[in-house]
Amino acid sequence: MNLEKVIFGFFIVLALTLNFGFFLGELDNPQYHNVYELFILVVVNLIATGLKLGDRTQIGAILLSTSLVADMELIAASIYWTVVVHVTETGMTPDVTASIVSLSGGALVANIVSVIMVVAETLMLRR
Amino acid sequence: MPTVPQSNPVTYIVLREMRTPLLVLICVYSVAIIGMALVPGRDGQPMSLFHAFYFVMYTATTTGFGEIPETFSDAQRIWAIVCLFVTVIAWLYAIGAIIRLLQNRFFQLAVDEMRFARAVERLPGKYYILCGFGDTGSLLARGLSDAGIPAVILDKDENRIKALQLRDYTVPMPGLCCDASVPRFLIEAGVESPYCLGVIALTHDEEVNLKIAAVSRLLNPDVRIIAMSASAFHEETLATLGKDTHFVDPFKVFAKGLGGAIGNPALYVLNEWLSRAKGASLERKLNMPSKSQGHWIICGYGRMGRELYNILSGKGIATAVIDPHPPDQDIEIYIRGRATAKTLKAAGIDRAVGIVAANDDDGHNLSILINARGLHPNIFMIVRQNRHHNEIAFSAADADIIMQPSLITARRILFMLQAPLLRPFFIFLLQCHKDHPQFMETLFQRLKKTFGRAKPHLFTLNLESENALALTAAWEQGAEIKLGDILRDPRDRTSRLSIVPFVLRKGQELIYLPDDSVLLEQGDQLLLCGTESALRLLDASLNNIYMLFYVITGREMPRGYFMRWLRRKLEGADVENWHVRQEEMG
Repeated sequence: MNLEKVIFGFFIVLALTLNFGFFLGELDNPQYHNVYELFILVVVNLIATGLKLGDRTQIGAILLSTSLVADMELIAASIYWTVVVHVTETGMTPDVTASIVSLSGGALVANIVSVIMVVAETLMLRR
Repeated sequence: MPTVPQSNPVTYIVLREMRTPLLVLICVYSVAIIGMALVPGRDGQPMSLFHAFYFVMYTATTTGFGEIPETFSDAQRIWAIVCLFVTVIAWLYAIGAIIRLLQNRFFQLAVDEMRFARAVERLPGKYYILCGFGDTGSLLARGLSDAGIPAVILDKDENRIKALQLRDYTVPMPGLCCDASVPRFLIEAGVESPYCLGVIALTHDEEVNLKIAAVSRLLNPDVRIIAMSASAFHEETLATLGKDTHFVDPFKVFAKGLGGAIGNPALYVLNEWLSRAKGASLERKLNMPSKSQGHWIICGYGRMGRELYNILSGKGIATAVIDPHPPDQDIEIYIRGRATAKTLKAAGIDRAVGIVAANDDDGHNLSILINARGLHPNIFMIVRQNRHHNEIAFSAADADIIMQPSLITARRILFMLQAPLLRPFFIFLLQCHKDHPQFMETLFQRLKKTFGRAKPHLFTLNLESENALALTAAWEQGAEIKLGDILRDPRDRTSRLSIVPFVLRKGQELIYLPDDSVLLEQGDQLLLCGTESALRLLDASLNNIYMLFYVITGREMPRGYFMRWLRRKLEGADVENWHVRQEEMG
């Protein structure tokens, strides 16, 4: 067992599962989508990105780029949420909620790709 | 570099041929349109120019939407009839001119040439130019395709190039039907390009091969040239073409291969196995008679028979020759005539240990086999198979060794290209076999243990940064890497990859069957024999620094900045030290 792999795998999978949890539920109903979950999700994704920095392989580079995509979409969703609640004060109308959740859906796909690649690389080495 | 006019003949020819038809079309259209715009309509007013243009456009191509925009007057209808006939005839003339051009053989050749030149430009990576696509050429192309190296193929015979297009190669192999010795075609085949690895001239005409070699050398002073040649005169001329010019004499290669098989049957078996020949196996035992047991009979004293006789008599083996033509040198037992039961008996077939059917006629060789089998059932039979398509008949004839000159030449060239260190290795094996007869047996045991039933692949590995990124990085960090280290399995370093290193070249020094403890350095060249999957794994560990670190030290290198920082804190500075190795288990 390798402590490094445990930490790495933990954060990658946690990012995916949190993302899925946030995405789950009616697309335009803010009741199903928790703001704290989104916050934790952004934090975990940023940590996962940090862990991926500095890998010298091709797969490492692609992993980092998937993470960056997820970060970008989740941060965009958070900023949107903040703006509608605090700046324009329109609140979480159904169409705003739908945009935020669909952005997190995009990040979900990036996280899935990331997990598939980590699993594939591990299986390839079989040790 | 000589400059050659680079024009696109196809566009030029099309424009030139279409000049008159286009002029005719333009004239006819303009007359028709102007006429239509002058003829008065039902209200006495003629059509506008735009409407006239519209009408002529759809009438000329016989589309005929009707009388648009308004019902025509009779005068307009008369002019419409004229327009219809004249424009349709003009169109027929123009289309006829295009079709005539497309059917022109020289135009087709120009189109083929243009397509070919474009395909050559688009080839991925480095390629060879193969002149002559006969039996040898197609076998060589197959071998190159297996190795993933593209080739540009030139042949005089249109049918062979058409056959080429139906082959299922793994890499693009553009072909052109042309005389390969014409410089223009060689340039189109990309002989001047830095991506051209070499020119291989395999046509049946030796003069042509020589000319291809000379033209290629002039066009590209650094290109590697391999030419098929069967006469001393041509070989001398080829030798004057300077460095990296090689010639392959199919008869000599064949005779040497045969002589080698008689002298050292194990080497023959190894060679067949390395070539991945059909049915080749290391388990195969050849009951090759030794030279004291009796004499050999050679049927056919052509160019090949002569080489064969020289090699056999050079080895001190008593040899009888049967041939209808008079001999050109002093041969003890020489029987004039075709090889029949009578002449075979005269050559002493009942006492002979081996017979070689070396005629250039397959039917003749097969009948010799049948005759010899009848007269002496246990005789060792070697037969020359000339044409590739007679394979089934020859395998049914059950000879001990079937040798195809085209196949032998193709393999020889392929080994020359892919595994240049194989020849010194074979010479080394021959020498070892003389000194220690057990040596080959040991090697065979090792190969059998490593490969089992898997097919061998030869692989030449240059330890340079482009082929071994991780290895170069490790050297830069001061790692000492032994041969045995990189041959560990990256999935589990306690087991070995199915690879046997044959030769390690360090500068001018050659180390045969190198030991695991040999230290590797930048610029070394390795000849490896391994299974396909093992070679792929080796490539992975040579290019992935994390895999290489695991394979060498047995520990995992931290991936990413954070993990590196964390593990340095936890485990000390040795985390990335190439010299700290985990103890072997067991």
